Amino acid sequence: MNVPTEHLLALASILFALGVAGFLVRRNVIIVLASVELMLNAANLCFLAGSRAWAAEGAAGGHPIQGPVFALFVILVAAAEAAIGLALIIAIYRLKRTTALDATRDLEG
Amino acid sequence: MNDYLVQLGRIAPEAVLTVLALVILTWDLVTKGRDCRRLAYGTLAGLGLVVWLLCGQWASLGETGAVSAFGMVTVDRFGTFFKLFTALALMVVVLLVLFDRRERKHGIGEYYFLLIGAAIGIFFMVSTNNLLLLMLGLELLSLASYSLAGFHKGSQRSAEASLKYIVFGGLSAGIMLYGISLLYGLTGTIDLSVMGRGGEGGYPVGLVAQFAVSPIPVAVAVVLVLAGFAYKASIVPFHFWTPDVYEGAPTPVTTFLAVASKAAGFAALLRFVGALFLVDGVQEAVHAYGARIGLLLAILSAVTMTLGNLSAMRQRSLKRLLAYSSIAHAGYVLMGLAVMTEAGFSASVFYLAAYYFMNLGAFAFLLYFEGETNSDEIDSLKGMGWRHPVVAWAMVAFLVSLAGLPPTVGFYGKLLLFYEGVDAGLGWLVFIAALNSVISLFYYFRVAKALFLTEPVERVPNRQPALTGLIVGLSVLTVVTGIFNSALQRWSGEAPRALGISDQLEEPH
Repeated sequence: MNVPTEHLLALASILFALGVAGFLVRRNVIIVLASVELMLNAANLCFLAGSRAWAAEGAAGGHPIQGPVFALFVILVAAAEAAIGLALIIAIYRLKRTTALDATRDLEG
Repeated sequence: MNDYLVQLGRIAPEAVLTVLALVILTWDLVTKGRDCRRLAYGTLAGLGLVVWLLCGQWASLGETGAVSAFGMVTVDRFGTFFKLFTALALMVVVLLVLFDRRERKHGIGEYYFLLIGAAIGIFFMVSTNNLLLLMLGLELLSLASYSLAGFHKGSQRSAEASLKYIVFGGLSAGIMLYGISLLYGLTGTIDLSVMGRGGEGGYPVGLVAQFAVSPIPVAVAVVLVLAGFAYKASIVPFHFWTPDVYEGAPTPVTTFLAVASKAAGFAALLRFVGALFLVDGVQEAVHAYGARIGLLLAILSAVTMTLGNLSAMRQRSLKRLLAYSSIAHAGYVLMGLAVMTEAGFSASVFYLAAYYFMNLGAFAFLLYFEGETNSDEIDSLKGMGWRHPVVAWAMVAFLVSLAGLPPTVGFYGKLLLFYEGVDAGLGWLVFIAALNSVISLFYYFRVAKALFLTEPVERVPNRQPALTGLIVGLSVLTVVTGIFNSALQRWSGEAPRALGISDQLEEPH
């Protein structure tokens, strides 16, 4: 069974849109960071779909491997970002006892 | 093996920085954070070595020469120019950490480690045509900056600054990566130089060819990638984080973000736009398309500078005022990009160099002032001019330069930008920029007025002589490079030549 590339791209764009919507709508920092992960995974799916499509085109002498490698690095970056983000959330929670974005309002103007 | 060593030699500055970062971290561990002054001296020595290596690299590279290291790093004068300024700015930032009276003297070894880590990220991101390495450099810079912004983790303001930074940073990274993935899907390569022209035998497909087939996906992808750069350079509409992060972060970190990090974002943006739309053999084909990107950048430039200046007018904190002023300056730099010629690019590079001097100085003054009064309100500046005349006059030099008045380097930078703008037929943008300069006069001179407003009081003994020396040195540089600007102009003219931008000017149809 072969999934057409268009379907993969459509799924990726839906994931991306969900990530953006979650980022804009949700107020909990943890959910906001999870939405960002969703966007990064949309990019990953796109990389893999692109790589597969170029391989299917018979891109001789090309490097369809670039896509999967890029996706691996994106996963790595996402993990690093989550590590720092969660450490920060713990620091904020110790100070404020909440993880809502609205509660942090010392800097305005 | 020999070839390997040669390639390694080309990234010697980056390698030295990486070793330096590890040495600093280990040293801090071994001495258990009791030795932070020596760590700073060690960092300065390492950065000195990096500057020396970069000077050698600049001399050995020809005007348009570019050598590759491991097929990923492109070593050329454009990258070296920004690396040199980053290393010098980082030295000033390390000195600021050292002179910060409100900072602890012990247990801050990670401060230097994170600063060097951020610099490594900048070094790679300004000298690569490979989108993977560009993204990794940008992320390394971002991750180090998030931690630096929240360095005072017991302080609510610092923690909040860091949180806002990481949330918006994550958003822009997600948008940019999605854009890169679309570009990869469209062209089949992640190398910018191949992406622009296309490869031999039709694969990878050049953006030019793809544009003819599917213009809308290409436009979407390019705009999405621009978002990532706009975030680093705090261009509207990705500027929201700037004032909050600049205000909440420790002042030396704010200095780093406002100067080195922003310039790196612009450097990567210049390379991206240059490689995709302006190199030889591409410009003809994407003529109309490149002009449209130029128009988009011009509009962003106008909005960014106007918003930055109007918001800066109603600030009461000097730190926040400088944050909004840095948004406005991003708008000015973007003007040179919108011109979409090599001359326009070199005007942008010159302005970025000018921006290094004057903003480093203004933030050093802010640190001095915070050390004296423990506040960053403009109201508490009153009488500073009489109590600390030397630094206050130096600050006046920075303000004059930021406002773009002669005889400073800021004036000459703006002159170049305006000239290129008029030359390219962007008269309306130059008009808006000139109007903005007038608006900016108002708030910069509000600061100057506060400095010298109140009755003369007795001079107090200078308690921060080293910092005073640094500020005076920077103010002398700001004025001297303004008057004797030919050397800096030559260097900033040579830097973008390495990008291989076509000489043909855009002819509007």
